[in-house]
Amino acid sequence: MEKKRANDEFEPGPILPSQSVDRFEFIKQEQNSSEGLSTSRSANEHEREERRIRKWRKIIGVGGSDWKQYVRRKPHVVKKLIRKGIPDCLRGLVWQLISGSRDLLLMNPGVYEQLVIYETSASELDIIRDISRTFPSHVFFQQRHGPGQRSLYNVLKAYSVYDRDVGYVQGMGFLAGLLLLYMSEEDAFWLLVALLKGAVHAPMEGLYLAGLPLVQQYLFQFEQLVKEHSPKLGQHFSEEMINPSMYASQWFITLFSYSFPFPLALRIWDVFLFEGVKVVFKVGLALLKFCHDDLIKLPFEKLIHALRNFPEDAMNPDTLLPLAFSVKVSKRLEELQQEYEKRNGGTLPKAGSTNRLLQAIKHKELSIKPERSNCVQKDDPSPRILH
Amino acid sequence: MARRGLGPAEEYDYLFKVVLIGDSGVGKSNLLSRFTRNEFFLDSKSTIGVEFATRTLKVEGRTIKVQIWDTAGQERYRAITSAYYRGALGALLVYDVTKATTFENVNRWLKELRDHADSNIVVMLIGNKTDLKHLRAVATEDAQSFAEKEGLSFIETSALEATNVEKAFQMILSEIYRIISKKPLSSSEPAPGPTGGIKEGKTIEVSATNVDNTKKQCCST
Repeated sequence: MEKKRANDEFEPGPILPSQSVDRFEFIKQEQNSSEGLSTSRSANEHEREERRIRKWRKIIGVGGSDWKQYVRRKPHVVKKLIRKGIPDCLRGLVWQLISGSRDLLLMNPGVYEQLVIYETSASELDIIRDISRTFPSHVFFQQRHGPGQRSLYNVLKAYSVYDRDVGYVQGMGFLAGLLLLYMSEEDAFWLLVALLKGAVHAPMEGLYLAGLPLVQQYLFQFEQLVKEHSPKLGQHFSEEMINPSMYASQWFITLFSYSFPFPLALRIWDVFLFEGVKVVFKVGLALLKFCHDDLIKLPFEKLIHALRNFPEDAMNPDTLLPLAFSVKVSKRLEELQQEYEKRNGGTLPKAGSTNRLLQAIKHKELSIKPERSNCVQKDDPSPRILH
Repeated sequence: MARRGLGPAEEYDYLFKVVLIGDSGVGKSNLLSRFTRNEFFLDSKSTIGVEFATRTLKVEGRTIKVQIWDTAGQERYRAITSAYYRGALGALLVYDVTKATTFENVNRWLKELRDHADSNIVVMLIGNKTDLKHLRAVATEDAQSFAEKEGLSFIETSALEATNVEKAFQMILSEIYRIISKKPLSSSEPAPGPTGGIKEGKTIEVSATNVDNTKKQCCST
């Protein structure tokens, strides 16, 4: 009953042919400004881009076969390359390689299909309700019951079955949606698993577990970092009673995929998947630094507005990201995490929690084929789990 | 959360903080955008965390500025959103007239308010989406009698058709104002001077507004 109604309303019909889209197929707003990427490229630029792609292809190898070895041999080169942005045509594949999701996929054949087809989820109605409210301005997700909406539903439903503790939480759809623009349903599902269960970096399921414990921890860490990196602004925020939950919850919960310009979100994700969540902190701090002189003058209400509507020049990846990379946070993040845990008594799962993930899969009593014990090697940014 | 003292150029007599709560998908964000910007979006994104908007309007002859916090409706988000109930003078508790479960959950929201909000918070029950007539699942009378039993004011709205949205906010703000000013509706005096509006500082959200509205926003281009 609910299901039918949920589908009946507030879903836009098929896209009108007259709508114009940007290069990422988001429907253009009126007077949409530049996307931070020039639309008409000179022949020179085009050639440079071709060279870049060839270089990337060589590093990756056929179907990603050479990737791991290259990363092991030249981690710093890879880091630098990724910070410059992964070529859009290779993004989906590289994301799967650096997140460790490719290995999860190979190790769990048939699992996704089983989750989608045979399992039922308590979150199905919640997911349906939000499907049309996820990237509603993107052509892929706009068509009611179209392939985009169906894929999004399948991925979210599969995850909610796979991890019943997390289930489905609003915000996950934006992660899944972003991924689906670059890879298949099954690939997107495993990347979500890799992120939330911690294939390479610390697990992020705490973003969505009851009580949103990781959101609370990140907000605590971020507030402290603001005070340390921009003391005057931190002081101003305190005086104006601004706290990060008012503006940064979305940054962490959706990893910038909710409201940031798409070209910037993609560039952040490139680096985030390789270097981990510290990148989210760096970008957040960089934004505040970039706008520091203006923010510091604003009173409460205007501050809130400004913190949710950053100007276009701040959102340019080539300006913001170098600034973000110059912000050092790793050591303090760890210390602040310990401080937070001490205050709140309790720890969240750490990176590479092998048993957790394994148990999660076994728990479903799905056929898991443990294999490829050679997939994990020292200094390898591939999964430390399931070997 | 008492805020900086009022400057000479303040443009309002009172500043009230109000929260929008209720199940996910009932139309809270569209009620907010309809009220503050007269906008409605069929294809709006789900709210993640909290959103914020303000509007200044005349209520009972006084200029009232209302700060509205719009919260994510999903239960899991209460871990973040319940912090915003503190200091709120009013709560608009929204359900969807086409979805019975969202009305059934009103009780849970009332409990949330009892647990986290100030005890004297003014609560208004709002049945939204009356434009979807053929899908109605909650009778007006049922909601009305429930509201009476619980001591809530009640109204049905359509953010899409802009029906009763203004009225709903007017009603709750009047009620808050009457409580704050401790005067019956009919006998309100002319508005006090701009600096004389705050009478019960401990319960009123007071925010300094920017004197110079033309001052540029963060790094404005």
